[in-house]
Amino acid sequence: MRLAIPHQQRMPLAIAALGFLFLGLFLLYPLFNVFSASVLDAEGEKFTFANYLKVLGRPFYRAAVTNTLTIGVIATITTTLISVPFAFALARLPVPGKAVILALAAMPLVLPSFVSAYAIVLLLGRAGIVTQWLNSWGIGFGSIYGAGGIVLVYTLTLYPYVLLPTMAGFRAVDVSVEEAAQSLGSSPRRTLWTVTLPIVIPSILAGGLLVFIETLENFGVPFVLAEDMPIFAVEAFKLFIGETAPNPSSAGVLGVLLILTTAAVLLIQRRYLSARRFATGTRAAPPILKVGLGLRIAAAVYCWTVVLLALVPFFAIVVLSFMEFRGPVLHPNFSLDNFRILFDRSMRPLINTLLFATLAAMAVTLVGVPIAYVVTRVRSTLATVLDVVATLPFAIAGTVLAIGFVVSFNSGWLILTGGPLIMVLAYTVRKVPFAVRSSSAILHQIDPSLEEASISLGRSPLQTFARILVPLMLGGILSGFVLTWVTVASELSATVVLYSGPWRTLTVVMFQALESGGGGVATAAASTLIVVTLLPIALLYRLVRRYELS
Amino acid sequence: MTGIVIEGAARSFGSVRAVDGVDLTVGDGEFFTLLGPSGCGKTTLLRMIAGFCELDAGEIRFGARRIHQLPAHTRDIGMVFQNYAVFPNLTVAGNVAYGLKARKVAGAELAKRVDEALALVQLAGYGERWPHQLSGGQLQRVAIARALVIRPQVLLFDEPLSNLDARLRVSMRAEIRELQKSLGITAIYVTHDQEEAMSVSDRIALMQSGKLEQVGAPADIYRNPASRFAAEFMGTTNLLSVGALRPEALRLAADAPAGWPRLAGVLVRAEMLGPITRLDVRLSDGTLVRAALLDDPGRSMIAGDTVTFAYDPARLTDLP
Repeated sequence: MRLAIPHQQRMPLAIAALGFLFLGLFLLYPLFNVFSASVLDAEGEKFTFANYLKVLGRPFYRAAVTNTLTIGVIATITTTLISVPFAFALARLPVPGKAVILALAAMPLVLPSFVSAYAIVLLLGRAGIVTQWLNSWGIGFGSIYGAGGIVLVYTLTLYPYVLLPTMAGFRAVDVSVEEAAQSLGSSPRRTLWTVTLPIVIPSILAGGLLVFIETLENFGVPFVLAEDMPIFAVEAFKLFIGETAPNPSSAGVLGVLLILTTAAVLLIQRRYLSARRFATGTRAAPPILKVGLGLRIAAAVYCWTVVLLALVPFFAIVVLSFMEFRGPVLHPNFSLDNFRILFDRSMRPLINTLLFATLAAMAVTLVGVPIAYVVTRVRSTLATVLDVVATLPFAIAGTVLAIGFVVSFNSGWLILTGGPLIMVLAYTVRKVPFAVRSSSAILHQIDPSLEEASISLGRSPLQTFARILVPLMLGGILSGFVLTWVTVASELSATVVLYSGPWRTLTVVMFQALESGGGGVATAAASTLIVVTLLPIALLYRLVRRYELS
Repeated sequence: MTGIVIEGAARSFGSVRAVDGVDLTVGDGEFFTLLGPSGCGKTTLLRMIAGFCELDAGEIRFGARRIHQLPAHTRDIGMVFQNYAVFPNLTVAGNVAYGLKARKVAGAELAKRVDEALALVQLAGYGERWPHQLSGGQLQRVAIARALVIRPQVLLFDEPLSNLDARLRVSMRAEIRELQKSLGITAIYVTHDQEEAMSVSDRIALMQSGKLEQVGAPADIYRNPASRFAAEFMGTTNLLSVGALRPEALRLAADAPAGWPRLAGVLVRAEMLGPITRLDVRLSDGTLVRAALLDDPGRSMIAGDTVTFAYDPARLTDLP
């Protein structure tokens, strides 16, 4: 008997099997272990809900839950309030330098947010430059430590998540719908409120959701700014590091709660959005509105202010990294001393960062592109399940996944702790959803008949994939590769749990320098990180432009 | 060169029987068309032959060789797609060479055969162009050259002309027919356009709901439809109590032999379409009869006139 798998399903099935194997071992298995850690006693033997009662019974951890959610909600509201008018101005008003604004507005998405947080401390903290300058004039202001500072940094670094989809939403509005409203007697202002905005609301919400989830998972910003205020991701990390019992039950509890919160938010959003699809059959981008000089100036000033304000902290870090730190106090003596100290100690962190980013970006591409192929080209329950599992890491905080990794791979048949591989694997799993999303987006635009044409001409499905699909997807694969590379280079939340001995990265150096108050090394590491992040992006930009011009 | 035999082919998607037990024999070198409304199963049947759609039951043979379990890329088929499916990352020559390279043809032989194929579809000298520089008609020629150059056993056409404008469709279909006949390759052509089907085909299989409704030469199906569906799909049909009658079988009573049966009624509408004039006439029993007459400058009729037709009883078709 021949195995009865139809020949055109063999390649998708093989990919799906490998995909499930990888994600099962390095995503579902660690998550299962986090879950089981939370429901087992300290020895890891008996089933119990006592851990949940213990953790939630303490006001400190209950406060962590409320603080995290409150900060998340407020930051989501502030980013939305800032981004929607910004998006409208970019999409529909005459603002000078739109291309530059857009390029600059996307930068906070790839720059590490905890660097921005650290810059805020150096500028506005107790010993901050701006604080001291204002104090010398007798002006004081509230503390930026705690919720206020965290919301500020989230707003400055996460606003593009709302801006970009909302702008796309405003641009996708079919003008004829607005024209219909006006021909029915609605004024332009009323049309904006009653027709245009409601159509764009799903895009705004989708962006807002991304912001909210980012705030739940973010480790670096609260680590720098929260001080005594308990925050979910930070406390999970501290609990895990501090737990001496064989079973990290308390960290497990916080991890499970974090996952459940994110999952609940995602489900609510899915239910809400599935009922509201206002895709309008758009033919051309809506025209730029004719407005008075006053509004034009206001729009331009507003857009440029937001974009530049968000980048000021990063710029400040680069400047400060050339200054002399005595303890936490800065002195305006410009030199390369900070970098000398950073790199004299060891070049390893920089090399590790570059190495891990490259390996993880390669692995993400190898895993993500084939999974995207199955998800877009095969209609079956199996493909849907694979899609859900491959999207799952998006809802898992880096800290939680890393805890799962340590619990799963520090003993037994597969021991990875203490080495570099465990870090690369964690990065890969975390970034797979982005690779799958971006590759699926391209694959949706490639007509399946191209593959059929290739197959009917005598190329096997595998050869067709390599000769037709990969060349057509190359631009997208390359940008996905660079984005993965860049975000892995500045990854902190999983890294601080998983790094060991010689495998420290730049983010770890910065993290440790912050803990020990070594401001010079921290700023030098941060500016190196900014350069490491922006260089590949700039190269990609040039490459893409040259490609488009030819 | 090969004939194609399909026996008991069946395929369901959920509860829908897309292809429901089709038996078909296509002769060696025949131009055979699968015709029918959208959703009738014609494309599914074509994709079964190509190897892109699994059979639930039945078998397909090229000559004596059973092919329905072979992977698509080993079936030796040339296929032309509705949306051309020209590889945008390859030049025109690269597209045409694609199947040859898969067959390990190389060097001077490769170049020669690519040039020949391009000349065959009147694209000589276009080899270095990129697909985005070509018009829709030229892209479809590239697709045809790409399918022909591998000298396949069977050529499959999946609505190849439906993305082209009306004028180009008419000239391209004649070209496709001529190419197929000069090369003698067995071809299966899918379309929903009965005029296109009649113009290119040796034989037509009319399909409905996954089944063959009628198989025959174009004139045969048009003149002797086996069912009401066949009669109406192949062209306008007057369903009279005595049988079915095509519009062009009706003549004005004054121009007809005395012995032909008559039909009298009131003219509802007259449409002048150039070479022919279409008349809608309501008979006294309420039936609407459509007639098509060649243009005659000496004739003038307006709505409300009484019109009497006559018809040759031999042209009546009995429908079950």
